[in-house]
Amino acid sequence: MEIRINHLTKTFPGNPKKNIPDTTAVNDFNIVVPDGTLLGLLGPSGCGKSTTLYMISGLKQPTEGEIWFGDEDVTHLAPEKRGIGLVFQNYALYPHMTVYDNVKFPLTNLNVKRTKKAQKTIDALTILDLLEHNLDEIVKMEQESVYNNKISKSAFARKMVFRFHIVTSLANTIFSYGLSRVEGDEREAKLSEAKAKLNAAIAAEKEALEKKGFSINDKYEVLDANGATIEENRKLTKDEIDALVQETARLVQIDQYLERKPSELSGGQQQRVAIARALVKKPRVLLLDEPLSNLDARLRLQTREEIRRIQRETGITTVFVTHDQEEAMSISDKIVVMRQGIKMQEDAPQEVYRNPNSLFVAKFLGNPPINVFKGSIKKGTLYIGEEKICKNKAFKEDKDVYVGIRPEGFLCDEHTKEEDKVLSLDVQAIQTMGRDMSLVCDSACKDGDALIKIIIDSEIKVGVGVNKFAIRPTKMFVFDGKSEERIYLED
Amino acid sequence: MESKNNWKAWLYLAPALILLSVFTFFPIINTVIVSFTKDYDVIDASFSGFTFDNYIDILTPIHNANGNDGTAFESVMLIGLPNTLLLTFITVPISIILSLIIAICLNSIKFFKKIFQTIFFMPYVTNAIAIGMVFSVIFDTKYGLMNFLFGTPGFPWIYQNLTTGATVNYWSALFAICFYIIWHSLPYKILIFLGGLQNIDAQYYDAAKIDGAGRFKTALRVTVPLLSPQILYIMITSFIGAFKEYNSVIGLFGASGGSFDKTTGPRTMQTIVFYIYEKMGENGAGGAGLASAAAVVLFIIIMAFTIVQRKVSKSRVHY
Repeated sequence: MEIRINHLTKTFPGNPKKNIPDTTAVNDFNIVVPDGTLLGLLGPSGCGKSTTLYMISGLKQPTEGEIWFGDEDVTHLAPEKRGIGLVFQNYALYPHMTVYDNVKFPLTNLNVKRTKKAQKTIDALTILDLLEHNLDEIVKMEQESVYNNKISKSAFARKMVFRFHIVTSLANTIFSYGLSRVEGDEREAKLSEAKAKLNAAIAAEKEALEKKGFSINDKYEVLDANGATIEENRKLTKDEIDALVQETARLVQIDQYLERKPSELSGGQQQRVAIARALVKKPRVLLLDEPLSNLDARLRLQTREEIRRIQRETGITTVFVTHDQEEAMSISDKIVVMRQGIKMQEDAPQEVYRNPNSLFVAKFLGNPPINVFKGSIKKGTLYIGEEKICKNKAFKEDKDVYVGIRPEGFLCDEHTKEEDKVLSLDVQAIQTMGRDMSLVCDSACKDGDALIKIIIDSEIKVGVGVNKFAIRPTKMFVFDGKSEERIYLED
Repeated sequence: MESKNNWKAWLYLAPALILLSVFTFFPIINTVIVSFTKDYDVIDASFSGFTFDNYIDILTPIHNANGNDGTAFESVMLIGLPNTLLLTFITVPISIILSLIIAICLNSIKFFKKIFQTIFFMPYVTNAIAIGMVFSVIFDTKYGLMNFLFGTPGFPWIYQNLTTGATVNYWSALFAICFYIIWHSLPYKILIFLGGLQNIDAQYYDAAKIDGAGRFKTALRVTVPLLSPQILYIMITSFIGAFKEYNSVIGLFGASGGSFDKTTGPRTMQTIVFYIYEKMGENGAGGAGLASAAAVVLFIIIMAFTIVQRKVSKSRVHY
């Protein structure tokens, strides 16, 4: 489902009496999220990214603007009618419910339109098929489901569901045959009795339907007298809910924890339960509000891959809010960088880093952050301090500029002997970090108090003191001194 | 903490411990002792030996050497206990459910929230006897608001109709006192529930909204379970409170505890605590023994109920 957002604005009213001005959290925001892609909303805290997400979800009403899901205007639709799944920052799992009940909860509220099916026949055939092909395995599984010296129905059911992807009630039916508790001929007798019962059930349903003038087609759909399928509007049945819960639990790999309470799970597992709860009703859009911020570093990495996998497998359009640039870059198809409610840049993840359109975006992305120098343009030439950096046709008028150079944008080889794109920096400290070396330098022209950081190949010999560094042109960006917008260099 | 510093901790606790010992622990133990004495005199604490007669008197109609004529048995087992149990099991569930509904409603309104909170809290700061007197006017046979509302002039809700001589039906009196107890016990419960509700993270409601749960379902499946610690607390304290019901009986029916048609139920609204106070105030020896025995019986009943409640609720309460 494509999401289109047109001129979205959210203003929180202030209080003129107490001299509190209105706050505009989101300001004239426009984006299009193509069907099946993952969009990362990136920005520092308080930039309006979560507000945007909550407006898409319907929990917050926009002051102005429209939100479209495909061809449907959902701007004023209630959250539950939008068909969205939302994962909260702190998961908001219901603490009193088991994982199973948590995931089940959205389904119990759902009204669905389904084609009427001969469900008893389908169930009976499923069991018959299992008994035909997997009898030995089932018997063995039942015998192994011993808990407190008793064969446990629930343990057996769990295993069956896990192994054969059937619903719990069918597993319970198979358990009720008691096949494992007898041997040889007796088992055969029980088996044939069960099979007879199942066949009888199939026949009975067929007869009952035929009495009403209905028939069953080869997809086990019920056909009315005119041979048309019957659509019914109803709540999901217990078995349908069970099947959906089990399916989603398998997708996010929580099927082993279904009977536990959220408090008995680790952060990462809770996170997956929250995603399962959001996904179980097969929403059109999945929204994630800083889903990884409560996890530790390693789990964050793992869960991030997991989210990407789940998103790819389900092909669901996803909006992901984060303040962590690394996170956004690693899983998004597209990144939108926001600042104070305004969209700064919208691009592919690598492009945002490689080609920032403003000083803000350049500063926000990258770790260690970009080095910013105060420079100036004089007669079409860019200077940092007294040093001439380069000439370019884009430098039309004389003005002050910011020059951003990525930490990896410095070279220390024969290029330093060239006339331009060379900068003198006062190296103060050298740290070797395996393959790379990190230099901390000072410069009279640096912007702000932060020292210059350089990441460079550790084989290069540099000493403490003033050194000359060449600048890689692709890692250097020039920004207007006032508007902070990028001045694109021309070839 | 190191063990040798323990005496310091005891020192800090001493004032509370001394007061508790003198005014709580000693009286409890003494009550048990007194309940086994014969002809205990509250003035000089003299008695003539130990006996089980007090318990036999109040728990059984057996006549014995003590001169038991069955009045103690009637007052405790046929009047006090049924009254107490009926009051408890009618007022506690109804008042909890009502206060829960009111608290949830109060919590979801925005305008006049504070005003409504104040209105609902008013009965709590009002004296129980005073409210009882107001209620006895409301239910008055001749001038009562109830008879006016129901259009039943002269109906004897709680007082006999002196003109026609119609006697009071036990159940109408029970209705009146339950009405009064529930009304009087709502504010405190609402206050506790409101406090609990305000502690529930708003994200649960957002999640429920996204999940498509309606208002009623959200209240039942999300709010109430999350409020379960407060509900358990209120349940236990109000069960204990209801077992000790006394003020309301005095307030509504006066010092006699009312006088009803004997064929419709117990002839007064006296509770167990009412009996205890009555016996303690009696002149002469022996009353204190009976009162103490009744107190011990009540203590055991309350204890049993509390233990059962805690056991039952263990799996349903989520902290």
